[in-house]
Amino acid sequence: MSVKYVPVQWNRNKWMYDGFLLVGVGLFLGFFLHIRPDFLSGNDPRINAQILNARAFGVCAFLMLSIILSIGPLARLDPRFSALLYNRRHFGVMTAAVALTHFGFILNWYFAFSKSNKYEALLFANTNYGQIAGFPFEMFGLFALICLLILSTTSHDFWLKFLTAPVWKRLHYLIYPAYAAVVAHVALGMLQDASGNVFPALFVVAALIVAGLHVAAFVHDRRHGDPVAEPVAEGWFRICKASDIREGRARIGLLPNGERVAVFRQDDKLSAISNACAHQNGPLGEGRIVDCLVTCPWHGFNYDVRSGRSPAPFTEKIPTYNLKVHDAEVYVDPNANEPGTYVEPVEVPPLEGEA
Amino acid sequence: MNDREDTPFFIGYLQVPQKLRKLLLVTALALVGFLLGAGLLIGRTQDTDPGGGAFRFDYGQQTVSGVVENLAYPLFHVTEGNDRLKPGQTLMLTGSGKDGVSNRTLPMVGKLATAKGIVLERGSLEMLQLAGGKRGLSEAEKQSSVSVPKPEDLGRWKLTGEICDGKCLSGAMRPGRGLAHKACANLCLFGDIPPVFVSTKPVKGSEFLMVLGPDGGALPKEAYDFIGQYITLEGAVARHGDMLVFKMDPETIELAS
Ligand code: FES
Repeated sequence: MSVKYVPVQWNRNKWMYDGFLLVGVGLFLGFFLHIRPDFLSGNDPRINAQILNARAFGVCAFLMLSIILSIGPLARLDPRFSALLYNRRHFGVMTAAVALTHFGFILNWYFAFSKSNKYEALLFANTNYGQIAGFPFEMFGLFALICLLILSTTSHDFWLKFLTAPVWKRLHYLIYPAYAAVVAHVALGMLQDASGNVFPALFVVAALIVAGLHVAAFVHDRRHGDPVAEPVAEGWFRICKASDIREGRARIGLLPNGERVAVFRQDDKLSAISNACAHQNGPLGEGRIVDCLVTCPWHGFNYDVRSGRSPAPFTEKIPTYNLKVHDAEVYVDPNANEPGTYVEPVEVPPLEGEA
Repeated sequence: MNDREDTPFFIGYLQVPQKLRKLLLVTALALVGFLLGAGLLIGRTQDTDPGGGAFRFDYGQQTVSGVVENLAYPLFHVTEGNDRLKPGQTLMLTGSGKDGVSNRTLPMVGKLATAKGIVLERGSLEMLQLAGGKRGLSEAEKQSSVSVPKPEDLGRWKLTGEICDGKCLSGAMRPGRGLAHKACANLCLFGDIPPVFVSTKPVKGSEFLMVLGPDGGALPKEAYDFIGQYITLEGAVARHGDMLVFKMDPETIELAS
């Protein structure tokens, strides 16, 4: 969490995550570039090294992006994979670096050696926008690259704070148009000339997996999504039975204004806070109370469940809600309190079978 | 929610819960394994055959004498050659990078000249990348009574194939054709590099023909929409020295299947 900004707050898990990533990328590139029959037999590849490198880095960036995009829906389908969300931004930054290298090889090869400036040449060399075959597919790649660079530079928590979480999150949905552009870039470029069918097949499968996982997660959320709070008299909304909430956990309710509230039980007292984490809007209600503090399932930000405040020295604040319990049912007032407002927890009978 | 009691809870900055460790390790190894396998498989099955064109630095710099002909793009008819480049051969000329040399050849049309440079070669297609300035192309001191060989008219043809830029195709880029290479080819053509048609069926023994507009001028604008694509088109073919020249008719261009 944020007291002051350092480039990266490292810890063992991040080292491991990045370590595996680097090894994976290194192995991909190494095997792609060097374990080829012509190379092993000692013959120089007859193809230009620049083009070979451009291919290797391009394919690598595509696969990395496909994996990144699969993590989100996978975590929604099985929360155990939420661990992969942690540090996903490093994955993203590394992907942008690989994509930028691909761009460098192309720009300094295909677009170099002419009298024109190579960046300008990239824009004017092919302007057949009216046709599919021969379309300037480079533009799709350029768009995706710019998106990835924007996302990487703004991935740091400084920008998150600066732009505020909702704006930041909306900005980071750019990853979807970027991926669509990459798919178009490959389909109208490399695939037009591909004579082997391994890459085309893998390309289609990867894109289908990414799309399929998103559809599956969407359907899953529809079926198992957060229950809509029911309106009852005097503006209160029913969330659930008090006994539905386990110790240290929450139940989430969808309020009429579209906000989600998370009602937590701590020491048999209930408190209601906003479900959206101040960091990246992670679902706090899917987190747990660890050491007396609500812990976000995404990156572990902590909050006091009674006040919605992060413990000192941190300064994050989220809204709290007033709640009441009547006939063992939990009701919430949908009008959120100012972030950080203390609300006295409401005592409820202990759960059966739990000490 | 599928928040079962026993679902382990991962907090990034704490130790990974025991129950999650195995899953995460397996996932990480599967990921690394996937990347390794994909690299190996895609790398091995990619097309690494650029079709046999290359810069022949191994020949060293070549010096030949010959006559300069200037169609929209320059040709050089060798009169006095060496072991590699024999009298009677016709070379396309280029400058370094994506630059043609018309500005240098124009004053020398029909004259005897000495050309120095590096050969690019793809089958029967030959190009000479001239060294810079006077060193690359200079008028011969003694002008004997040589002249540009008389072109031989080979009639009208309908051909199927692809328009490329002559330099990348001859081996400056490997591979130097196809749609992924289109923008690069366009840049060469903008730079006055001679365009070459690669015909799927050889015309009088050659699959390569230098392309001109219908009136013998530079590549018509309409053709740029079809660079790197598989097309059919019609035009008049003539032999200049040992090089075929194709005056294409842009109205006849059609995408081939
Ligand atoms: S969203 Fe990052 S810690 Fe909650």
